[in-house]
Amino acid sequence: MVTNPKMPIQSATDHIATLYRFCAQSMQYPDSEWFSENYLSSLYGLLDALGGSAEKEKLQTAFSRSKDILEELQIEHTRLFINGLPHVAAPPYGSVYLDKTLRGKYSDDILLYYRSLGYDLAAHADLPDSLIHQLEFLSFLAEDGNREGEEEFLARFFLPWYPMFAAQVKEEAQHPFYRIIVSFIDFFTQEEKEYGVQHNEA
Amino acid sequence: MAFNITRRKFLQSASLAAVALPLSGAIASESGITRSPLEPKGSLKDETVVGGVCEMCFWRCQLVGKKRGDRLVKLEGNPKSIDNGTTICGRGNAGIQLLYDPDRLKYPLKNVGERGNPKWKRISWKEALDECGTKLKAIRDKYGPQGLCMFPHGATAKYPMHFMERTIGTHNVSEASFFQCRGIRDTAYLATIGKAPNEDVDMANAKVIFLLGCHFGENVHVSHIKRYIQGLQNGAKLIVVDPRYSASAAKSDIWVKIKPGTDTAFLLAIMNYLVVNKKYDAEFIDEYGEGFEEFKQGIKDWSLAKAAKECEIPVAQIKEVADMLAANAPNVSIHPGRHVSWYGNDFQRQRSLACLTGLLGAYFVKGGWVPGKAPKVGKTSWAKKDHGDEHNLNRNADEEPLYPYSPPGTPTDLIRDAALTGKPYPIKGAVIWGQNPIQTIPGQEKMKKVLQQMDFVMCVDVMPTDITMWADILLPEASYLERHDLIKTGTQWDFADKQQQYITARMPLVAPMFERKDHVYITNEIARRMGYEKDIPVQTVAELVDKDLSVAKLSLAQLKKEGGIHLLEGKNPYEMPDDFEIYFYNEDIADAGFPGVPTYVPVEQSPAGYARLLYGRVPLHTFNRTQNNVWLHHAMPDNPVWINDKVATKMGLKDGDVVGFINQEGVKSRTTTTVKTTPGIRTDAVFMAHGYGTANPLMSVAVNAGVDDTSLITKITVDPETGAHGMRTNFVKLTKDGKVIDIPAAV
Ligand code: SF4
Repeated sequence: MVTNPKMPIQSATDHIATLYRFCAQSMQYPDSEWFSENYLSSLYGLLDALGGSAEKEKLQTAFSRSKDILEELQIEHTRLFINGLPHVAAPPYGSVYLDKTLRGKYSDDILLYYRSLGYDLAAHADLPDSLIHQLEFLSFLAEDGNREGEEEFLARFFLPWYPMFAAQVKEEAQHPFYRIIVSFIDFFTQEEKEYGVQHNEA
Repeated sequence: MAFNITRRKFLQSASLAAVALPLSGAIASESGITRSPLEPKGSLKDETVVGGVCEMCFWRCQLVGKKRGDRLVKLEGNPKSIDNGTTICGRGNAGIQLLYDPDRLKYPLKNVGERGNPKWKRISWKEALDECGTKLKAIRDKYGPQGLCMFPHGATAKYPMHFMERTIGTHNVSEASFFQCRGIRDTAYLATIGKAPNEDVDMANAKVIFLLGCHFGENVHVSHIKRYIQGLQNGAKLIVVDPRYSASAAKSDIWVKIKPGTDTAFLLAIMNYLVVNKKYDAEFIDEYGEGFEEFKQGIKDWSLAKAAKECEIPVAQIKEVADMLAANAPNVSIHPGRHVSWYGNDFQRQRSLACLTGLLGAYFVKGGWVPGKAPKVGKTSWAKKDHGDEHNLNRNADEEPLYPYSPPGTPTDLIRDAALTGKPYPIKGAVIWGQNPIQTIPGQEKMKKVLQQMDFVMCVDVMPTDITMWADILLPEASYLERHDLIKTGTQWDFADKQQQYITARMPLVAPMFERKDHVYITNEIARRMGYEKDIPVQTVAELVDKDLSVAKLSLAQLKKEGGIHLLEGKNPYEMPDDFEIYFYNEDIADAGFPGVPTYVPVEQSPAGYARLLYGRVPLHTFNRTQNNVWLHHAMPDNPVWINDKVATKMGLKDGDVVGFINQEGVKSRTTTTVKTTPGIRTDAVFMAHGYGTANPLMSVAVNAGVDDTSLITKITVDPETGAHGMRTNFVKLTKDGKVIDIPAAV
């Protein structure tokens, strides 16, 4: 393995862990606890770094037109992920896509996988197969430098459903925010399908 | 959307740190994944949990849940049950799919759009309860308690309903199970034998089973069906009176293909025949009967010939039925029915059934009407307070009831009319709990107008049914698999077996997911916000159940230990109570201005080109409540319309043709269904299963599947004694490819 001399592995994995956590954060129900100026400027920073100036502009335009940014996102989140019209567009749970139900066998398998690597769900947690928890789990794996685990988890659990979810969000979203967030998640997870997890040049 | 950099490049870039560092400052939520101090586990624990009580329909079969970890994987009948035993029906099995339905309500929602065209926003429970409490209180303060109304249904609606009626003090409560279903039956039997009959016929030990409109096999309630099948296996004869060749008719010895709406004429002729030919149980009537002479007089014109003409059936068939009943009396099950709100002349029909049972001496005998003796438990709820009758809409100027045989609550249209006219007072707040008035109450547009004029509408439900589109605040309730609620008591299903009693209580098989809450929590929190803290009877639903169980010297913990069901020695169910009386003629009914002897009132006939719209059940759905269930939808995805085959041929229709409907008032069905041609239905009626054609797109499986029969029930018919609705008084033509097709009267 060839490492990038400018980027010590430890710190790169920490940053990747942060990226996963940031994605997970962005999928939480919007409230003022986290959806802040600080959050937005981080989001814009990330878009800048990824060359997403067009997306940034769309987002800023949408926000500038909004009477109440937070409420607008709350409505959009409810519609897309909880109970929406014409139907809940994209439930953020893998089981819905793979087992056609909430809490199918897939959700047990993923829970067992978390446990097999020494993790568990916290008491306040959502269902085991929630997108947020999958991203949080990836973040822990990255932090631990467990690339093999990350790769296996993405291949076995995450990628079999996430593209279906992302496609539905992209199709149904009315606000650019969630389109951008699912694209981030795509960006940080998708390429692995082709190349495997490569935090640094292999 | 593509970013102008590849992932690999980005992750390797020097700027990664510069980008990532500020991101970490933006992360405020706690992770739901934690490092586990536990040893890694390779498998999840399998266990069987007891204490489940099914609510896929109202029958309440006892269940156990098979769990893997905290996930419920299968439901089965509780082996300790002496009611359903280890058997549950298809719907019962599919409870898992309700539990884990992605479309279910998960969090409190606020409608930031319009009623009927909602835009939902998830809100916290605190905000939701504050809003409900404040709004309901404001309406009470401005308009009085009568300014609030409620449409409740189901086991969890009792507690909030008592809060509304007893504590706040509004009479304006309309239960669908009464006013659009069985209330007429209950008050008719109360006026005849002093007891509501339930479905308490000892079919397992009957020599004849007589069903009027009941279509077992298409409606399935496990222990009830067990009784029916056992009776048939033992050789009971089966008489089925139905305009349609139902699943029961298919098993019958005599199928009476009666003209819709004329059942009372049929029953009167049978009774008159039994009286005239002295084929009734004179001894029984001497002992228990009241008003028999007036009764005899009152029905004497009903010759077999007269009824045969009215009902469009052969004289010989009525005689055959009457003789079969008489020959096997008293061991005959005259079934009281359940959903009986049919034609607006239903109270008299139900009285007739109760009287026929009496003529045959078929009360408290083998095979007859036998209620069984269940153990006593408590009935903890909000304390009763007298709020007077001043604002009771079911009172005329002389303080007399308008509908003296109304079931408990207020007849639905008294509430709706007051709401729409503001007279005698405005009704401005609606609490809808577990009921879907859009698909249960005739007159959908009227219902919508009622809701539109409210200052506040709140709904509590498990699924986003059509009515929930009209809510301002929508609260997600824990389902029957996730909560405590009722206690169920009863006996073994077959009275020929050793007499036993049981007590069971619904217990959660899994913890509620998301933020679903139970009825006691929700009601208490609203009560607190309305200033009724002092009146709250219990703090939790488990406390309520424990209190009620303590009357039988039991507790939830003890029940659980006993496998979810407590068994006791039973009592002889056939023992006649000392005070039993049967009123063939009821003076009170006559004094109230209605016929005191069962009387037939003819119903309006189909206009030319139309057929009467009949509806009923299918075995794998409980009306609308199960429509979004993936398994059940898969088994019965729509509700084909039954049309007489000869009529269909004349109309140029064949099986599988796609049709819509238009009713006598020009109201069109929103959706279509397919044609099922059959000789098994009269030519003057069409039939479809009730509860299909959901409009709410939030129900992504059910939406627009089949036709919503309720949408075609626009003519509102009210039974004069009870105030309950008649729901088979509308007529339809079919539409195909945009054209209206008349239904020929004669073929
Ligand atoms: S009859 Fe079926 S749906 Fe009804 S309670 Fe029993 S198992 Fe449940």
